Parts: sequence; structure tokens; C-alpha cells
Amino acid sequence: MTKVLGRSELESWLGEIMRERTLVAPRRIDDLVLFTPVQSVDEIAFDFDNTNLSPKEFFFPRTETLFTTVYKDGEVELTPAVIDRETVIFGIRPCDARGIAICDGPYLGDPPDSLWAQHREKTTLIGLACTRPAPQCFCSSMGSAPNDSSNVDILLTEVEDGYAVEVITEKGENLLQGVELKDSDVKPVAPSCDASVPADGIVEAVKKSFDDIYWSRLADRCIHCNICAYVCPTCYCFDIRDYKRGDVIERIRTWESCQSKGFTRIAGGYDPRADKGSRLRQRFCHKLLYFPEQFGPLGCVGCGRCVVACPVNIDIREIISDIQETGAKVGQGSN
Amino acid sequence: METEYTKQIRDKARELLENGTVECVIGYETGTDGINARPAFIYDPADVERLVFDNTCSHNLVKYLLNMKGKPTAVVVKGCDSRALNLLLAEKQLQRDNIYVIGVVCPGVVEWGWNKQSDKLQKRCVLCRQHTPLIHDILLGEPVTEEPPPDFTDVAEMEAMSSEERAAFWQEQVERCIRCYACRQACPGCYCIDCFVEQLDPEWVGIRIAPGENLMWNTIRAFHLAGRCVACNECERVCPVNIPLSLLNRKLEQEVLDLFDYRPGMSEDAIAPLITFKKDEKLGIGE
Repeated sequence: MTKVLGRSELESWLGEIMRERTLVAPRRIDDLVLFTPVQSVDEIAFDFDNTNLSPKEFFFPRTETLFTTVYKDGEVELTPAVIDRETVIFGIRPCDARGIAICDGPYLGDPPDSLWAQHREKTTLIGLACTRPAPQCFCSSMGSAPNDSSNVDILLTEVEDGYAVEVITEKGENLLQGVELKDSDVKPVAPSCDASVPADGIVEAVKKSFDDIYWSRLADRCIHCNICAYVCPTCYCFDIRDYKRGDVIERIRTWESCQSKGFTRIAGGYDPRADKGSRLRQRFCHKLLYFPEQFGPLGCVGCGRCVVACPVNIDIREIISDIQETGAKVGQGSN
Repeated sequence: METEYTKQIRDKARELLENGTVECVIGYETGTDGINARPAFIYDPADVERLVFDNTCSHNLVKYLLNMKGKPTAVVVKGCDSRALNLLLAEKQLQRDNIYVIGVVCPGVVEWGWNKQSDKLQKRCVLCRQHTPLIHDILLGEPVTEEPPPDFTDVAEMEAMSSEERAAFWQEQVERCIRCYACRQACPGCYCIDCFVEQLDPEWVGIRIAPGENLMWNTIRAFHLAGRCVACNECERVCPVNIPLSLLNRKLEQEVLDLFDYRPGMSEDAIAPLITFKKDEKLGIGE
């Protein structure tokens, strides 16, 4: 038996959620689809492939205050930022939910990042399974699937008469309390997604390719903008700066990327990763070598955003294939 | 004509690499969607068959010459790109001797998007006044002799808004800016070693990715391109959140044209009006 939530019941449930919590949902803005807080169900886009930017910004905002300090009567008073509002994200895709879970690795280690932990605690994820993976999607190559329910609190799958509902966690159960679900014989169909990207064994292959000329040749084309990192659901690097207004100092962090020059430049102006090849290689070594070595999973969920957004077609799927070949070649000593 | 260009570019690239005139040929190849072109760097004559030219060859390849560090390089250049090359030569960022220019009379390129096939010309191509490269060592195609007059309808439409409407419009646009700096990285005119946005002392713009700072970033970048922007419109093409940057650039292009009768990048020794001063320039002050 499948539990089904009718379309109009879904809308009234979302309307109810909005009253007490911040509801974040995909929304059409010009010709983009972006996750934003919504005030009315009419603002929500239900039919979309995926959003142009990942929902990571509701856990790791583009800019966030870490704490403020006030200097008063010879004393420094420090106030850490507190996230007090409950948030519900509707429409998160399984790949993006996996991205958030992957970032738990570095952010919920010991010690945990307090803000990430607070966002995680206060946020409930209503996943929306993909019924129609886009051409750039390859989640099935990266250990996930269009209907992967492992990283959401509730998974909805669109069926003929509404949405099939899978409740995964207690948080999800709480959110659904009092909502009436119909029993139905309908069986949600899981579409297939590109599983052909050869990710098996990529960690070793990347390691072998480290000194290969492949990286500098690939970097010829790279313009070293930060698009790939900023659209990526698993890129989690940031920069920190203090801003002073009178006696108040605010410490903030913002998104930053290994592709930008300031990221590696150190005092005195030296940049240990100054050449284009090693800078670009860092991105792929982090995702496909350092991250899995340190935390387990590959740092890519196959959402395909970077594939679409890169202005010069640096395509991680192509790189994984190339490196499997190059790594093998280098391994045979034919560099 | 496009397949003809492809063949001519391949032949020339092979010749230049084989006889050692250049070490690298920068052109276009087909990307991973099988539809749209991407930049290609060819070092080996055996690889020239990768090169293509078609109406998806949007990228301005001139910017890449700045990375070649004086290595003899050939580059495929469309009309607008040739203005960028002139700009960089005039600003002494490149040496003409090291560059072999494969000029292509450009019929216009279509709207660009990964896995998107379009037959709609890009806005910059509809408005283009420079189909024929101004600078070249070999020219492919028949030069276009008559170019249309300037058309700033889009700027006029923007200016028809009230100042409140315009402020709201730009506020909404820059709000979604993620400060990825792709506009700057793609722009041939943006080559400062230390961009103002990253300077720490003084700190011109804060690092917050927030409406105020975003507006500051986009506005100042536009001003730095005043009298220098060659209208290749790469900034707008690469923007991941579709901010209509051409409106800012074209407004300044129009101002410079009206005030100084000047179009940037039209020759390799042009002196830009904003880096020089003539005694008879009053620009309406005290007149």
C-alpha cells in the first residue's frame, strides 16, 4: 500500500507550514529556478528539473555572521550567532540532500561547526524524487538514485493522483502530524539516471594522475571563476573577515573557492598554488581524492550543475573518464 | 560556410604548428553536449582535426593570450574578439609579434547553453557593428563592408524607467549575484593583477555576498570598462544567474560614443579618451 497526499492537500499542508516556519521552495525568477523563502503556495515551482543554485545556502549561507563582539568599559562581550527559526525545505532533490549529508563530514566533525549544526537541527527536508532526470544528471553514477530517500526527512514522488509519501525520519513524522494520507495501489516508478560515469576506483586513478600534464592542459581552458564551486552542493570552503562599526565587531564568513587567487595567497604574497594547472587540479583532487580519503564518500553527488554552468565546458564526467584512462596510463609508467 | 571555415582553420593550424611558427593554436572544438563549441588548445599537429568553427563559437579567446606568457600562439578571432585584441595591444598587455591571428568574418553566434540548441542570434550579434576582424594575419570569409548604425534601444528602454523603478530593477538583479567573478574572468578588459574587489588596503568593497556589496561590485566593474568594453558580451553570457550586464556596459559605451566619438578596440594604437586629456575637451562643463 502506498500513502498518497493529494495535490490540494499538499498545498494546504505547505500553507500551514509557512505560518509557523520559514518555507524554502523552488521558485521561478526570470528564466531561473532558485530556492527562496516563499510566502504563498502560488510562488512555488512544482515542475522543474533542478534549481540553478543548490540549496546548500540554507545551511551554509553565501554570507553569514559567526558572532559579534562589543567592547564596553574595558570588557569584550562576545555574542555567538543563534539560529532560532525552524525552516522546512520543500522540493529538495535526492542528490542535493546527499550533498548536505556529505558536508556533514567536515562540518559535524569534532568539534562541530556550530552554525551548520544549528541549521541542520532546525531544518526539515521534504524531498521530491526526480521523475525525469535532466541530461546533465548522473547521480546514479555517484552512489545515489533519482528516488534515493536516505538523506531527506520525507520523500514525495509525483504519482497520478498526487504525491506518494515516504516518511523517513521522526522529524518528518512530526511535520506530517495531522495530515491525512490516502491509501493507494499506485506504485511510484523510479526513472533511470546516467550510471555510466566510471567513478569506481577514481580515488586511486586521481592519485596516479597527480603529476600528469593532463591537469595543466585542462586548465588552459579554465577561466578560474568560482561558478563551479558556488553552484556545487558539496563545495563548502569559506573566507572570514571582521567588520567594525564603532565598538561593535562582526565576524562574517562568505563563500570562497579554491579557484580564486586570494584563496591560497599567503602573507608576503607567495602563492603555493599559483599555476593554473595545480589550481584546477585542486578542485578535482579535493572531490575525488582528499575528501573520500578523509571522510569516505566522493565529494560529488552527480547533480550536474557545474556541467551546465561552466562557461568553458570543464565537465567533471569527462574528467573522471579521462583520469581513469590517464591514471591507468601513468600507472603503467607511460607518462 | 561554417564547414569551410573549419577546414581552413584546421589547415592553417596544421601548417603553423608543423613549421614551428607557433607553439599553440587556440580555437574551438565541440563540447561534451555534442552541440556547443568550447575553447580548444592545440599543441600537436595531429590534434588539429579537433578544431571546428560554427555559430556556437561564442567565447572570446583573446583573453587566453594573456596566459601564454609570450609563447608564439595562434588564435581564432571574430570581429568583436579582434577589438579585444586591439584593446590589449593598445594597453601594452600583449606583443603583436608573438600572435598569429586567424580572423574569421563572423555571421553571428547563437544563444549559448549547455545541451541547448538554438538558432537565435545573441543580442550582441543582432546589434553587431563589426563582423569583420580588424586585425588578422589570415582572413577567412568575405569582409562585410557595410555595418549598421549604432542601436541603443535597450539602453533607452532602461532609461525610460523612473529612477525608483530603475533602482528596484537593478537591486533585484544584483541581489542574486553570487560574486563568482565569472564576468571578470571572462572579460578581456579585466586583467588587473589585483582587482579592486580583492584589495584589502583600502578595502573598496566588502566580501559580503549581499545586495549592497553586489551592487558596488557590478557598478564599479562596469565603470572600469567605460571606454574599454568592446561589446563581446562574454560577461553576460557566462553569468550563472543571468544578470543583464550588457545594459550597464552599453550605457557607458553610448556615453563614450556621444562624448568622444570613440569606439574602443578599433585600432591597435588607439588612445582611450579616459586615459588622456585634450585641452579642448570641455564635456559641457562651463559651456
